[in-house]
Amino acid sequence: MTDDKDVLRDVWFGRIPTCFTLYQDEITEREAEPYYLLLPRISYLTLVTDKVKKHFQKVMRQEDVSEIWFEYEGTPLKWHYPIGLLFDLHASNTALPWSITVHFKNFPEKDLLHCHSKDVIEAHFMACIKEADALKHKSQVINEMQKKDHKQLWMGLQNDKFEQFWAINRKLMEYPPEDNGFRYIPFRIYQATTERPFIQKLFRPIASGGQLHTLGDLLKDVCPSAITPEDGEQKTQVMIHGIEPMLETPIQWLSEHMSYPDNFLHISIIPRPTD
Amino acid sequence: VSCSMAGEEDFFLEEKRFKQCCEDFVKHSQQIGDGWEWRTSKDLGDGYLSKTHFQVRNRHIPPDLKEKSNDNTEQTLFAHVEEPLDDSQAAGVCSTDDVVRYEYHVLYSSSYQAPVLYFRACFLDGRPLTLDEIWGSVHACYQARLQEGPWDTITQQEHPILGQPFFVLHPCRTNEFISAVLGGSQEHHRHTNYIILWLSTVGPVVGLNLPLSYAKLGPEQSTNAD
Repeated sequence: MTDDKDVLRDVWFGRIPTCFTLYQDEITEREAEPYYLLLPRISYLTLVTDKVKKHFQKVMRQEDVSEIWFEYEGTPLKWHYPIGLLFDLHASNTALPWSITVHFKNFPEKDLLHCHSKDVIEAHFMACIKEADALKHKSQVINEMQKKDHKQLWMGLQNDKFEQFWAINRKLMEYPPEDNGFRYIPFRIYQATTERPFIQKLFRPIASGGQLHTLGDLLKDVCPSAITPEDGEQKTQVMIHGIEPMLETPIQWLSEHMSYPDNFLHISIIPRPTD
Repeated sequence: VSCSMAGEEDFFLEEKRFKQCCEDFVKHSQQIGDGWEWRTSKDLGDGYLSKTHFQVRNRHIPPDLKEKSNDNTEQTLFAHVEEPLDDSQAAGVCSTDDVVRYEYHVLYSSSYQAPVLYFRACFLDGRPLTLDEIWGSVHACYQARLQEGPWDTITQQEHPILGQPFFVLHPCRTNEFISAVLGGSQEHHRHTNYIILWLSTVGPVVGLNLPLSYAKLGPEQSTNAD
């Protein structure tokens, strides 16, 4: 019987085979070959693509290179979303490898946040963790930690060190023995078709009678169109880390085992493939 | 602002009260022509306060003229500029680098149960200000706090309703300093307009000032049903 802890490893070590191609209008001195890379689902584009940048900069002149940005089929990719979320939301039902286009010019100011250094990624990552703990524990656990513990969470992510990360993160997954779960569940629900980037609301994992709320309960409350079948046929898929968890799964369990390192459950609602 | 208050109960702003305070706030803004409006999202019915104003950055502008730049129409701005300036000042004032268009949004954070200030700024030619330029424009008296922890103070983030990049003043310590001001029980301060209190404190950090008449918004003018 699989241990629950195995799920934590499976989530952490998930990878997406990706092919990076330089945008055709970029100015190069020689032809740019595509670059292949296995991307960690739980990380961020700008954190894991130094090699991609170096590869393409080799065939470009310094003056033609400014801030790197990525795009998939015309959509600028938000580096501040975890890679796995971007893939599930935009490309999960297309053939692998995931084909991403690399740009060094014309940064889309209206769509993307700037990312001039790793500090920006760290600040964003830590802000998410803090917000998640505000929801789970009124910020008590994160505020009790020392700066070096915060640093260890970031270093664990940056260096792909599961044990180092979870040594600290396990504290963020605990709750008082008298409670049966967190105060509220940190989650965000994404749909590529809406202007609103995501839905986020207060949602308790335990009902007033003590029963565990499920993923289905969450969706019914926050995004009913995701699970209400039209004409009896389910037009959408509910995806987390590339899989469709059963709607009966307790949301407390999902929060403890399938959150991203930022401690949020990032859930994609995508069109169900028709074949 | 850092204050530790052992045993002090934290003040939380509920979403319903947030909306009510915003409604009262907008009413007063309309009375005095301060330019704030409430925008409702089409899909989920939540919303936010919004205001746009232009700020002149040229340091050659005499201080009394600069104070008046809270007006949010270009015409009024240029009307002020017509007052006597010598040639060098007049030339400086009209360049696109001197005027910055600020757009401020006040949203509600259910995670922190507090309001959050989002803003974006661009020059007249459309070029957005960079994070460094924003940090540089923070008022002198807040620079020390900003240098201590710039990444905890103002950063670029995605607007949760519009999905576009905005700058944000971090909310995690909001309830700390609001508690310090309000003290006592929430009942005691039922009629205080939280938004006026909060915005008058955090707004000036990023160039947003509230005319004093907002302070007059008392219980008799608020429309709290209970």
